[in-house]
Amino acid sequence: MLSCDDYLKPKSLKEALQAVAQAPAGSRVIAGGTDTLPWAREGRAGDVHVPALIDVTKVAEFQGTRIENGRCRIGAAVPYQPFLDDVSLRAALPCMPYCAIWFADDQIREQATLAGNIVNASPVADGTPALLTLNAEVELARLEGDEVAFRRMKLAEFITGPGRTQLMPGELVAAIECETAEGYGGSFEKVGARRSLVISSVCVAGLVKTSEDGRSFADVRLAAGGVGPVAFRFDDIEDELVGAEISEAAVEKAADHAARRVASRSRVEYRREVIRGFVIRAVEDALARARPAIPHTPSLKEAIHA
Amino acid sequence: MPEQVLELTVNGRKQKKIAKPGARLLDFLRDELNLTGAKEGCGAGECGTCSVFVDGKLVKSCLMPAMKADGATIETVEGLANKGELTPLQRAFHKTGASQCGYCIPGMVMAATSALRENPFADREEIKERLGGNICRCTGYQKIFEAVELARDVMNGRLPATAIDVDEKAEKYIGANVRRLDAPSKVSGSLRYAGDMTMPGMLHMQVLRSPHAHAKILSIDTSEAEALEGVECVVTHEDVPGEDGFGVFVHDQPIMARDKVRYVGEAVAAVAAEDLATARKALGLIRVEYEELPAVFDPFEAMKPGAPKIHDYADGNLTKHIPIRKGDVENGFAEADVIIEETYSTQAVEHAYLEPEAGLAYVDHDGVVTVLSPSQNITHHRHMLSKIIAKPINKVRFIMSAVGGGFGGKEDMIYQGMLALAAMKTMRPVRLVFTREESIATTAKRHPFTTRLKVGFKKDGRITAAEMEAVADGGAYGLSTEGVMRKAAILSCGPYDIANVKVDTRGIYTNNTPSGAFRTFGGMQVQFAMESHMDLAAERLGLDPFEIRYLNAMRDGAVTHTQQKLDSVSATRVMEAAEKASNWERGVPNGRGATRSDLGGPGTRKACTLGARLAEQADHRVEEEVA
Repeated sequence: MLSCDDYLKPKSLKEALQAVAQAPAGSRVIAGGTDTLPWAREGRAGDVHVPALIDVTKVAEFQGTRIENGRCRIGAAVPYQPFLDDVSLRAALPCMPYCAIWFADDQIREQATLAGNIVNASPVADGTPALLTLNAEVELARLEGDEVAFRRMKLAEFITGPGRTQLMPGELVAAIECETAEGYGGSFEKVGARRSLVISSVCVAGLVKTSEDGRSFADVRLAAGGVGPVAFRFDDIEDELVGAEISEAAVEKAADHAARRVASRSRVEYRREVIRGFVIRAVEDALARARPAIPHTPSLKEAIHA
Repeated sequence: MPEQVLELTVNGRKQKKIAKPGARLLDFLRDELNLTGAKEGCGAGECGTCSVFVDGKLVKSCLMPAMKADGATIETVEGLANKGELTPLQRAFHKTGASQCGYCIPGMVMAATSALRENPFADREEIKERLGGNICRCTGYQKIFEAVELARDVMNGRLPATAIDVDEKAEKYIGANVRRLDAPSKVSGSLRYAGDMTMPGMLHMQVLRSPHAHAKILSIDTSEAEALEGVECVVTHEDVPGEDGFGVFVHDQPIMARDKVRYVGEAVAAVAAEDLATARKALGLIRVEYEELPAVFDPFEAMKPGAPKIHDYADGNLTKHIPIRKGDVENGFAEADVIIEETYSTQAVEHAYLEPEAGLAYVDHDGVVTVLSPSQNITHHRHMLSKIIAKPINKVRFIMSAVGGGFGGKEDMIYQGMLALAAMKTMRPVRLVFTREESIATTAKRHPFTTRLKVGFKKDGRITAAEMEAVADGGAYGLSTEGVMRKAAILSCGPYDIANVKVDTRGIYTNNTPSGAFRTFGGMQVQFAMESHMDLAAERLGLDPFEIRYLNAMRDGAVTHTQQKLDSVSATRVMEAAEKASNWERGVPNGRGATRSDLGGPGTRKACTLGARLAEQADHRVEEEVA
C-alpha cells in the first residue's frame, strides 16, 4: 500500500523542479503511476510511505508531441496510446505503433508514459529498443539558481544499467526527441508469458527502408531489449544489410550474428534462439510495411521468400 | 492523517470530498462514494475489475492516484445504466449469458463499452485486443465476445434493436438457452460481493502470517499492537472458546496457528482496527517467538521413516490412502502383449478467481454470531464454527454472499473463524478482504500429483490390466485431501472397461501451502496420466487415438473400477461428437505430420498475435488520411 503526506501537481516545469528540489528526502516523482503503485505491494516494496508524490503529468512543458524538420519531440507526460492512435505519429515513427500495441493494454497505455518507461531503465522496457532505432535523445531539465537549464544526451548513453541512468538528483526528463522515419517500415517483436499486460522476456524493434527500386536495403535499424543489462542496437547486422540486395539468405545470414550479443544471466540458450528468429521477423515485418518509391513492385514479403 | 480536497464529476454529479493524498482512485470511488461496481481483483493493473472512464479514456483505477483525477470527469459502471435502464451492451451480456460469477463483469462491460466507443465497427480480433487487459476465469471469453459483437451490430444498425431482446421460444429449459436471473445485477455493477459490503461501526481486519514453513510458537505478545490507537482487538488461538479445528474431512486445522506453524502464510494472529492502515501497522507490533523445526516439502521425503512429523496423529505424514482392487492385475499383465509404464507429474495450480477472499462478521441483536462470506459450503462451516466458538447451532449463522468465482477454492473455512472471534470480542462488525498476493500465498491449491501408471494392452489395443500409484502433496493441512484422493481413485483409469485394476492414491502432509478442492477434485491429475498413456499406446500399437479409446470405452452395463454396474454410458457418444466436431483425420498419432489435413484451416485457432487495428487495411487508411 502506498501512502504519502502530500500530493503535488506542479503546472510548470519550473514549479516541478522546485517541488523536486524542496520535497523531503524519499519523495517520488510519478507520471503514469503504473509502475509505482504495483511496486508498493506485498512481495515487492510492501507498504511504502513517501513524504510527497510529485505528479508531473500536469506540467505544461511536458504535454504533447511535435513533429518538424525530420524530428519528433515527445513531452515527458505523453502516454503510450497516441503512438497507436495518432495517425501522424504512426507515419512519422513507424516502429512505435507496433511497440505500443505490445505494451501493456489499452487502459494502461492511456496512463503509462514513454518517458517514465525510459527513466525506469528496465532492461526489458519495450520503449527503449524502439527509441534506439529512432536515434532518440533525452532532454534533461534542472534548476540553476532560479533558472531552468537543460542538457541533452543520446538515449544509448542515458541508460547505464538495469534501473540506472545518468539522471542527476533534482533533474527531470523533460522530453524525448528522436528522428522521424517516414517511408520506413517499422516492426516490433515481443515474447512474454502472455499476450496482453506482460513484461517482455525478449523484444526487438526494427526500421527498414528500401532502395528506390525496392530491391535492396537502403537502411536497416535493429535494437533489442531483454538480452543484456541494457537495450542495444545491432550495429553489425545493420552494417551487413545496408546496401545488400533483399533476399531471405541475406537476412538469415545477418541474423546469425544476433545470438552472440546475448548477455543475459538467465535462460541464455532460449534467448539466443528467440533473438535470431526475432531479428529475421523484425526485418521481414518492417520490409512488408516499407513503401517502395516505385509502385506496383511485387510484395516484398513475397520477394523475400521467392 | 493528512488530507487533501478533491473535486471531480462522477456519473454526471459534482463531488467535493476530502481524500487521503495517497489514496487510489479505486479507493476513493469505493470508500468515499460507495460506488462498488469497480472491484479490486489484483491491485496491480493486471485484471481489469477496476476499469473506469477518466475524461473519456478507460483506465485502471487501481493504478491511478485519486489526486491525479482532481478536476476530471469520471464515469463508472453505475453511470452506464441511466436510472436502471441497461445499455444495449449490458443487455447483450445478459442475452448471451456472458456473466457467470460476475466479478469481472463490471470491468468487462466497461472495457467493451470503451472498445465500441473507440471503434463502433471493431471486428472480433480487435474486440479481443481491446478487452486484453480484462481477465475472466469463468466463461472462456466466448460468450463475452459474442455479447460485444451482438451489441456492436445493434448499435451500428446492422441488426435491429430487437435482436438483443428476443429470446428463443422457451418451451423447454434443458438444452435451451435460459437467461440468468442474476445477470442484470452483475452487468450493472449493483450486485455487492462480501468485500463491497459495509456496516456502521465496521472494523477492518488484517492477518499476521507465518514466515516459517515449520516452527514451534514459543510466545505471542500482542500487547504493543493492542495499545495502538485505533486497534480494537487482536485475536489469537487463545481466544478460541471451544474445540478448535476445521477441515472438509479431518478437522486438523486450528482457526489460527496453535503451538506450531506448518506452512508459510499460515494465520498466527489477526488485528481488528478502525481503518486498514492502522490494522496493517499493528501487525508490525505483534511479537512472535518461533523455534524453527525441520521442514519437508516433498511428499516422497515426507513418507520416509524419520521424516519431520507434521501432525501428531498422522504416522508417515499420511492424510489418506484410498486403495481400489478389481480382478487380478498380475493375471492381466500376463495376458498383455505390450506393457507401458510411465510416471507423470502435475503441479500445484492457483484458482485465481477474480474475487479475492472476503468476509464480514457481526454479532446480531439476538447474540447470533453471523458470518457473511462467499463460502462454498456454509452449512458445514456453520456446524464447525458452532463447535469452535462453543455456541449452540441456533446462535451461529452463515450467509453466503455472491461468490466471485470459487472453483473449489472457497470450500475451506480459512478466515471466517477469525472474523467471528473478532466480532465476538469487540461486539462490532469486522470485515476482512484479502489482497491478491495474500490469496495466492495462503489459500488452497490444486494437489500436485506424482502418478506412476502401468497398463497392459493386447496387440489390438484392448486393455488387460491397469495399475496406478498416485502420491499427492496435500500440503500442511487436510482440507479436502481425503475426498480428492477418493475421487482420484474412482476416476483413475478413465471411462474404460478394464477387468483388472489396482489403484492406490495417497495424500501426504508436507510443509507446503495446503492443497484443496479444485475443479475435477483430483480427477484431472489422474486423467492426465491415463489419457497421456492412451496416446502413448496408440503410438506403440500403430492405432488411431480415437480408435483405441472406442475399443476400450465403457458401454451400457459396464462395471466400473469400483464395481458399480452402469445402466447407461454415454462415453462413446461423447467421443463420436468430439471426433466429428474436430474434423479429426484418422491415423496413427505419430509419423504423418505435414501430410495431415485437419491441422489449420476452419475451426482451428491461429497463433496469438496483436495489431488487428494496425492490419494492412488500417495502414491503407492511414495513407489516405495522411495524404
